Amino acid sequence: MDLTGLTLRVAAARPHVLLAAVPGGTAVRLAAERLLRARDWPRASTPAQADLLLVAGPDLPELRTPLERLWRDMPAPRARVHARTADEVEDALNAGRALLGPPAVRHASAAPPADAGGHREGDHGARERHEGDDQTPGHDGHGDHRGHGGHGGHSGGQTEMPGGLPMAGQGADRDGLTLDQLHLPLGPLLADWPAGLTVRLVLQGDVVQRVDVDEPARPIDDAAAEAFWVQPWLRAASGEPVPVGEAVRRRAAAHLDSLGRLLAVAGWPAEAVRAWRLRDDLLSGAPRAAVAPRLERFTRRVGRSRTLAWLTRGIGVVTAQKAREAGVGGPAARAGGDVTSRYRQWLADIRRDLPRLEDPAPLDVAVEDSPRGPWSAEHPPSAALIALLPRLLEGTELAAARLVVASLDPDPDELVSRGVVEVARG
Amino acid sequence: MGTTDTVLLVALGVLAPVFGVLVFTLNSMARVTFSLLASLVCVGGVTAVLGLPYLGVVIVLMMVMEMVIMAVFMIAYMMNPAGLMPMSMLHNKRGALAVSGAVFAALVAGIFLVPWPDRTASRPRDTTFQVGSALMTEQMLTMVILGFVLLATMVGATVLATHRGRYDRFGDDLDQRPAEDPVGGGVGR
Amino acid sequence: MVEAGAWWTLLAAPGLLVVLAALAVAGNAVLDARDAGRLVGVAGAVRPFLGVPRALVAQPRRLPAQDRLLWRTGVVTVPVAAVLSTLVVPFGGRVVADPSVGVVWFNAMEVLTWAGLWLAGWGPDAAFSLIGGYRFLAQGLAYELPLMFALISAATGAESLRVGDIAAAQDGLWYAVWMPLAFAAYLAGVLAFSFLGPFAYPAGRDLAGGVLGEVSGADRLLLQAGRWLWLASGAAMAVPLFLGGGAGPGLPSWAWSLVKTLLVLGLLVWVARRLPVVRADRYVEFAWVVLIPLTIVQALVPALVNLHR
Repeated sequence: MDLTGLTLRVAAARPHVLLAAVPGGTAVRLAAERLLRARDWPRASTPAQADLLLVAGPDLPELRTPLERLWRDMPAPRARVHARTADEVEDALNAGRALLGPPAVRHASAAPPADAGGHREGDHGARERHEGDDQTPGHDGHGDHRGHGGHGGHSGGQTEMPGGLPMAGQGADRDGLTLDQLHLPLGPLLADWPAGLTVRLVLQGDVVQRVDVDEPARPIDDAAAEAFWVQPWLRAASGEPVPVGEAVRRRAAAHLDSLGRLLAVAGWPAEAVRAWRLRDDLLSGAPRAAVAPRLERFTRRVGRSRTLAWLTRGIGVVTAQKAREAGVGGPAARAGGDVTSRYRQWLADIRRDLPRLEDPAPLDVAVEDSPRGPWSAEHPPSAALIALLPRLLEGTELAAARLVVASLDPDPDELVSRGVVEVARG
Repeated sequence: MGTTDTVLLVALGVLAPVFGVLVFTLNSMARVTFSLLASLVCVGGVTAVLGLPYLGVVIVLMMVMEMVIMAVFMIAYMMNPAGLMPMSMLHNKRGALAVSGAVFAALVAGIFLVPWPDRTASRPRDTTFQVGSALMTEQMLTMVILGFVLLATMVGATVLATHRGRYDRFGDDLDQRPAEDPVGGGVGR
Repeated sequence: MVEAGAWWTLLAAPGLLVVLAALAVAGNAVLDARDAGRLVGVAGAVRPFLGVPRALVAQPRRLPAQDRLLWRTGVVTVPVAAVLSTLVVPFGGRVVADPSVGVVWFNAMEVLTWAGLWLAGWGPDAAFSLIGGYRFLAQGLAYELPLMFALISAATGAESLRVGDIAAAQDGLWYAVWMPLAFAAYLAGVLAFSFLGPFAYPAGRDLAGGVLGEVSGADRLLLQAGRWLWLASGAAMAVPLFLGGGAGPGLPSWAWSLVKTLLVLGLLVWVARRLPVVRADRYVEFAWVVLIPLTIVQALVPALVNLHR
């Protein structure tokens, strides 16, 4: 047996997975995160670090290009798989690992990277576009730091430009430095970021000067997308009886998901993993007694962490009144303050919901808030949260901007699946 | 001086000017900065090999910090954005050539013209201690004055460079707490 | 006193450093497994090392406008500086070299990481990577001076810059005991130049890995190894500086060095998981307004003690 083959087999035992979650794919993402954690397959946050690209969610034509880019940037040996539903995740991961074994590599190096790589047709759904570099997802990222956004990645236009990248323009800035302007898109496939949300920043240094939010990508077929976190509210709105306990459980899990993401962005991966574990336990229907002690410990550690509060205070202040004016309800409005008060609000909400996990009373959509605010199909709460972003992000530094987005954690699924709601109501 | 030291001295002595020349031939600001750094690190090595280990290592330490910070400013304030476009460190070539030629000639002439003293005392055992006691006794006043001048320069430069004064931070009556800063600091002043 | 210069120490020191770094990685993996609810065991502890063969077969990264030379230089500088720093760190009664300026040597090697990480961030010509490189400088301006004053406190206490002398001077009373602030500032500095835990700012998750975001293959292995090698080196250096070196009852001095180093390493790995990333915009002000004055006062203590001895 050749040494390379052996090495590849060994390496494939613990592939690093780039999880590209697309709007409408929350359930798939959760299943994938749970499996990856159980198997100790680390999550990569950029294509450079990844062996396996897992696309989680329905097909979205608008995301094909960014996914292609992620795939192109992955170094061989590599594989990509696509799980459209939560049930496909396990098979997709297994197929991915098989593809990473020795024969696949020969394929990969033989095939030009840009087309589907060596890994076609596995069993399941595999193949997919790729790469969306978490960092500079929308665009060609890598050239971005000098310039006008990534459109120019490879075109070359002017011969003089190194790497064919356009030159940066300059502009006045907060500190009077007249630095180069860097056009940097965050999303749609950035790690620890709302799936499918694209925020285009103009940076000078790492200060955000201008913010534009793109319309979130939509699936071709609206029915394919499912707004996982508000599903009980959707079902209740369509007349189906849903127990309050189920909705409350979903809401607490949604808050834990958001908390995990905020902790990851804040650079506290150990606590983020705890949050996600609690989330998965709640979603798998664990009884209250099983989660309560761990949740208590988690709440104490995170909620009372002075360091975390020190790091997040004064960032992204949304007063209760501003929130009301912007049409924001839910935890963000009730917190009425900075990032610190918002994550503490989530923690308080989770604790408040805990006793009601098994409540069998029917859910009244008008009484119980969905995770991000009172549910309304015409005005999903996440739309209001996204509308808040430009004003909040301008003038912040990049790290703070990421914290602000994570502390509001809008859920693009609510927007893309609006069609589902209308169908259901109609 | 042992063989190792001699080899090191020659190697570093050759490398230092080589990196120095690269400073003026490379066309990227980042590379220029770091070849200057490499040259200075070689100088630090030469100093250490010549029997001044403290000064030699401190030169390396300080030059690394200084040049890395300087790289930030050199790149930030270059006329061509971010240092990506090819650039040159040469300006006013004829004048510069004349000045540098004259300085070089004067220094070389100095080597031969200065009546170098012979060593009268014995070699100090620990040059580090010697440097320290020189700075802390007869040169104390020099160092104290130098320290204050440097501090005053830093404070003065910062005050001149910043466009926000205390009235911007604390309001017209200087009573606004915490101060209104674009980014709050870690102490909450 | 320590014995310097045996030829085999030149091989043993890097070897020992790699072993210590590997232990730290394994320990961290065990804690990871516990947090994630996986089985805690030896199998889980060694799983991160599957990344080594993986890195060796992976393609290196190519980007349109990269500066390959500077990128490589930066990536290589970090682990190489970590190894060089251990040349002056005594282990038991042995050390590779015991120069009269050992403390300054360690400090100078540590500062080389500044250049290494900035270059590693600059090289790939990618936005997040570049920001990561700059972040390390901002962090460096905050952690470096308290770290230097911590080193100066220990050196002042022993009236020597020779690491062997500093270890020997703590006869009976460790510097960690009567210079706790310097010890704490030193340990914070170790986490900072290893850019791990609360000081992982240059490689932050919010930057999708920052300086680590674009490296793959052997480059990535080197840079990651550099972090843990620095952590191990910093832990090993804490022993002669603040914990009395190899001195201790009963056991031979190498055993005491090993025990103390492992304890410091374990403490660092544990602390690194207990705190979120401290952003430089908060930490710089704290460092300059609180830490630097405190560490200067700390350095004054051994100076006064020595004057009145």
